[in-house]
Amino acid sequence: MSAQLARHRNIIDFALSSLLRRKTKNISLLAVYTLIVVAIASAMLFINALKREAAAMLKDAPDMVVQKLVAGRHDLMPVSRGEVIGGITGVRGATPRLWGYYYDAVTRANYTVTVPGGGQPAAGSIYIGSAIARLTGFSHGDLMPLRTYKGESQLLQVVRVLPAEAELVSADLIVVSEKDFRELFSFPSGFATDLAVSVGNPRELATIATKIVSLFPDTRPIIKSEILRTYDAIFDWRGGMIVVMFSVAVLAFIIFAWDKASGLSAEERREIGILKSIGWETSDVLLLKFWEGAIISLTAFLCGAAMAYCHVFFFSASLFEHALKGWAVLYPQFRLAPAINAYQLTILFFLTVVPYTAATIIPSWRSATVDPDSSMR
Amino acid sequence: MRKSTIFLLVTALNLVLLLLLAVHARMGEQAAVASCTVSAGLVKEFQLTDLCLFTEARYTRHPSMADFHAPFQDHPGALDHFPSGSLVSPPCFSREGL
Amino acid sequence: MIELCAITKSFAVGLPYQLTAVRDVSHVIEQGQFVVIKGPSGSGKTTLLTLIGCMARPTSGRIMLRGLPHPGLPGSADSAEVEITSLPERFLTAIRRATFGFIFQHFNLVRGITVLENVMLPAYPTGEPYELFRSRALQLLELFSISRHAATPVDRLSGGETQRVAIARALINNPKVIIADEPTAHLDSGLSSEFMEILSTFQAQGKTVLIASHDPLVYESSIPDMVVQMRDGAITGITRQQ
Repeated sequence: MSAQLARHRNIIDFALSSLLRRKTKNISLLAVYTLIVVAIASAMLFINALKREAAAMLKDAPDMVVQKLVAGRHDLMPVSRGEVIGGITGVRGATPRLWGYYYDAVTRANYTVTVPGGGQPAAGSIYIGSAIARLTGFSHGDLMPLRTYKGESQLLQVVRVLPAEAELVSADLIVVSEKDFRELFSFPSGFATDLAVSVGNPRELATIATKIVSLFPDTRPIIKSEILRTYDAIFDWRGGMIVVMFSVAVLAFIIFAWDKASGLSAEERREIGILKSIGWETSDVLLLKFWEGAIISLTAFLCGAAMAYCHVFFFSASLFEHALKGWAVLYPQFRLAPAINAYQLTILFFLTVVPYTAATIIPSWRSATVDPDSSMR
Repeated sequence: MRKSTIFLLVTALNLVLLLLLAVHARMGEQAAVASCTVSAGLVKEFQLTDLCLFTEARYTRHPSMADFHAPFQDHPGALDHFPSGSLVSPPCFSREGL
Repeated sequence: MIELCAITKSFAVGLPYQLTAVRDVSHVIEQGQFVVIKGPSGSGKTTLLTLIGCMARPTSGRIMLRGLPHPGLPGSADSAEVEITSLPERFLTAIRRATFGFIFQHFNLVRGITVLENVMLPAYPTGEPYELFRSRALQLLELFSISRHAATPVDRLSGGETQRVAIARALINNPKVIIADEPTAHLDSGLSSEFMEILSTFQAQGKTVLIASHDPLVYESSIPDMVVQMRDGAITGITRQQ
């Protein structure tokens, strides 16, 4: 047993000496390989963690949201419809929701302005999300100037900055009272943005939705399972940028493996001949080739996976910021809960290590079986 | 020191590091539940429906509230000019007539 | 001792360019003998050496080893006779590793790695503890006065120093038989005589030495016990010296 281990260690020694002969090439290969693993592993960890958080955070979202449409666009919802819908069997209540977007010309950021159903701030005061506080520098007690649709200035006092831990849902929120909302947007009274409907039995949601559509054919109900499913499909591998990213990575892996698999150079074949002539068996030569491939791919995977984890969970995936931010000014700080998906990591391991190692061994097979005296002919 | 010793040490260290990170992930679950509770509380308080991931466009800020028409701000042939639109796929629909 | 019985080696059998390198050779090499195989190029010397050294199999005929270590073969003592022509590769390689030390004409050293590692290479796959063969390698380097080059890449040495590295490597597994193929081809007269002296000291330690050469300095030397003449793959004469 220890003879076998000693044999492996000796062969690893020689494999390392062999790799170190072309130090620059192999170190840059290792670096690039690791970077690719970091990119893919980061994306995997990030998306996985985000989806988990979405599911956990949105479980108390409204059971159903009913929108009104006109010519394919969102229209304002008459509040009176809420009373009708509230009368449907199984519906506990239908509360009008007031929310919209405010574009701040100073910071060039988009904020989401919303009025909560209950527990509104007093007229003249607002709660702001932590990202807004970060961007504008406003904090508790400051007066925030907003421009109404009539062109007037509206000063609202910040009485609460929403917690930073909740940034993922509230980063860009401005929570106002109904009076201030309607004044800010010249929002007509008797109308709301949409209706939030709560039902007694979640299993009746689909039936109730159908009833609502038959009552008001110009409405569009969105039930909670659809809301959650949206976030299941987020960053779907079919989505634009993700396809590009993963394709590039797969292509890189193929290129690495191809470079190895396209056969041995004359120098390498000569060297295998020498090894066989001094007493190495075919299996020893193949073991050497295995370790040459495994040393690089295994190191790349282990380092890359560790770095990816640190990148996503200690540095809030800052490398993705540029891609995710797009043209937005406001960008939430992703303090995601650490979560490792062992299944995905195992797949990544097999994708990283197996093709490269196989591509190092297989072309050597033929050369490894040469007769020991081939180097003398 | 032998080269193989260095390599095996580095690999072992890496494995230990990964194990520690896995433990960290496990331990972080508790804290995660706590911060999730804060967020879930706000979701309930303000009746929110979406995560604040992209603040560029309406249909990426509230993807679950968006519909197929939303990206066509100007006319149906307009290209999707918000980068986050390539990251968010359209919400799925379970009913006809939408 | 090594016994050859009607050994024939042909390459590309059945094809139009078939070549018979060794033709019906029979000979006995006793333990501790210093044998030189002499003949022009193409006479089959190198091929014969590869057959004796378990690096190739003869097309027909048998080779027997007696009194030489054959590890890995079940139930046979060292003194038993072993026919190596029909052994599978694994056993053949094990015997070769333990019994024969080869010094190649072109040295066959691995470029880019150090002298010490080159010398230790044949011992790597044996599973022997590293410290053991490393100290043996250092001793051999000391013996050949090239210890100061232990960490030097082998490409940077002179011809004579490279020759000594090749000899040291052949000895790392303590072989009972040393085989050298045209060893003086790249050496001047001074280094050639030195080489013969080194090998004779090994003969004095009880090792068997086999050299193939067409260099007069080798076959006319007083050191060998026997000179075997070959031509066109067959033995044409044997000269014994006292």
